[in-house]
Amino acid sequence: MNRSLDRRSAFRLFGAAGVGLGLAACAGPGGGSSGASGGASPSALATSGPVKGTVSFAHWRAEDKAVFADLIKAFAKKYPDAGVEQDIAPSADYQSTALRRIQGSKTGDVFTAFRGAQFEQMVKARVYAPLTGTELLDRYQKNLIGPGAQGGTQYGLPYQLVFNMPLANTDALDKAGHTSAPKDWDGFLQLLDDLAAKGYTPIAWPGGDSANAGQLLNPMVMNNAPTDDAFARIESGDYKVTDDWFLTTLEQYAQLRPYFQERATGSSTDATAQLFASGRAGLLATGSFQMASVRALGAKFPFDLVAPVTTTAAKAKYEGVFNTTFILGVNTATEVQPAAHAFLEFLSDPEHAGAYANGTGQHLTVEGVEYTNADLKAVEPWLTRKTLLAPRFQFLDLDIRTAVENATVAVVGGKKPAQAAEEAQRVIDQKRS
Amino acid sequence: MSSTRSGRRRRTARALWFFPVPALALYLFFFVYPVLQAVQYSLTDWDGYSADYADVGLRNFTRLATGDDTFANAVGNNLKLTVTVVLAQTALGLLLALWLVRTTRASTLLRAVFFLPTVLSSVSVAFVWRFVYDPDGGLLNSVLRAVGLDSLQSVYLGNPDTAVFWLALTQVWFHAGQMMVVFIAGLQAIPKELYEAAELDGAGRFARFRYVTWPLVAPATAIVVAYTTVQSFKAFDLVLGLSGNPPNPALDILSTRIYTTFSNNQFGYAAAQSLVFMALIALVTRVQRRAIGRATR
Repeated sequence: MNRSLDRRSAFRLFGAAGVGLGLAACAGPGGGSSGASGGASPSALATSGPVKGTVSFAHWRAEDKAVFADLIKAFAKKYPDAGVEQDIAPSADYQSTALRRIQGSKTGDVFTAFRGAQFEQMVKARVYAPLTGTELLDRYQKNLIGPGAQGGTQYGLPYQLVFNMPLANTDALDKAGHTSAPKDWDGFLQLLDDLAAKGYTPIAWPGGDSANAGQLLNPMVMNNAPTDDAFARIESGDYKVTDDWFLTTLEQYAQLRPYFQERATGSSTDATAQLFASGRAGLLATGSFQMASVRALGAKFPFDLVAPVTTTAAKAKYEGVFNTTFILGVNTATEVQPAAHAFLEFLSDPEHAGAYANGTGQHLTVEGVEYTNADLKAVEPWLTRKTLLAPRFQFLDLDIRTAVENATVAVVGGKKPAQAAEEAQRVIDQKRS
Repeated sequence: MSSTRSGRRRRTARALWFFPVPALALYLFFFVYPVLQAVQYSLTDWDGYSADYADVGLRNFTRLATGDDTFANAVGNNLKLTVTVVLAQTALGLLLALWLVRTTRASTLLRAVFFLPTVLSSVSVAFVWRFVYDPDGGLLNSVLRAVGLDSLQSVYLGNPDTAVFWLALTQVWFHAGQMMVVFIAGLQAIPKELYEAAELDGAGRFARFRYVTWPLVAPATAIVVAYTTVQSFKAFDLVLGLSGNPPNPALDILSTRIYTTFSNNQFGYAAAQSLVFMALIALVTRVQRRAIGRATR
């Protein structure tokens, strides 16, 4: 029998391979069929079983790597058959790619999510093992872990508690004659004038960094917005950025123009942090999450937080803004669920949480944490003040969020508020359609 | 005897059909398959992780063409970037090559200096240039202040009208040395006799360049232009490094727009954008090749 292939057979073979490949490519995305149902809810977290195996811990806090490494050493000492490996991605990459990596591989037995769009997607993709009914929840402050729940089920534990409002150099504020935070918009502008008069750049603002330029928007709308979920309503189409309340906010941004550092729309976060750390700026318009990095840059002055109250004192509902994020959870697909649960439990212990908080300069949502870090103690009073959950993260669509935030940057760059609002609304309308 | 030989020849001829198989298999698997998959995804509203999706026909493409200012903005930015980078990088690469084509110690050293940025990672380049462009303590404004040219200080990437040109400058700095090397190879392949003959005919420097160098360096120019074009369309990491993710709309180019759409979990729409992106690169490259062919004829 002649086993060699002739030209015709070779063509047939290539043709068959091509058709097979084509059909495979057109088989449809998602591994399911068109219109397939969503499937069953993920099963609850297994809290018992032998604590063994290596847990992959996916997160974005490269700056916390050393503190986590110490905690992981202590964890391994407690559970000799288990270990943890950190899988760290830069925050912007994590925001974009974490779901695919966690869903599609063995990365992220324990993982984190940003509050808002990423958390929602991860719940929808069923990668969070439900934590409802576990004792873990008792270790957290109930009023702060809502952003890790959906539809009455607790999927994740928001670990970090940050304040997304300007960080203040209290030495500069004292020199400018302000020992307490202004209670209204006129008072805030007066504070900025007094800082400028003393030779300070009143506000250092990273207008050129899309990730942090929008942090200031949180306190700028906290009292202007007609409802606390105003940004969610912009996304749903109930509100528009051309509405009076948002135009007022943009006009107030225009009023702030002379108080930002020169050419602020091109400034990076690093440069503004440096400007603030050097003592040349009164406020840094990002948030408490920058305390540790500003201190590392050599800042010698004490910190506080000062939010712009954009209304009169009588109309102000909130003094500031907070956010709970770094939403810890256990992967439904992990093969080491008991070990992953044990690691989560370990991080939720007040003593270990305290080591993390004081080592990294972050407040936490864990109950009973003792803050010894001087900067954390300085802003500790804000834990009990009237603050709003950061509205910026209500946006689930990145393009809509960018359009809204870019309107504020455009206004600081010189564009008329009404024009900036119209341009942003046009993008929002398109993205919603 | 002869039948044995012809049989062996036939077998050899058949065997030759199998030599391209590995390359073909790789091409099918790594190029054709993903493209077909992208076509399939582009006709759906798949979010990238669910089993659920709906077939939407050509709606993604209609939306791209008529109802997405962010995509139109990215196309505009990318075309501005491409034209600027192709012109500036080609011209600078050729000028450097003409200057350094003769091999001397000094030219070897200078070639290395100009080539150096090419070996850096684009993320490092982005971080360095972010410092250069920073309006407050950045290098450019500090130098301008130091020499008394305060009025020329700029906001650079913070000005939506000019940001893309500052991005182009970074890209040119990054890759001009690489293009210089391609041009030097092209110039060194031109026979010296042609210059001698042109000189005997009384051709001056410009005439020698116009009638000898330019037509004969055309293949190198075509490579440089095509490569630079593709590079400008894919300046993804440079943009994200300079502006963050998602980037400032003034710096949003096609590759970053597609990435943002993927990040937004709109895989179907992002696949449609990717296909348009691919077609656009093919079209621009084709137009360029024809233009270069005509210019050097």
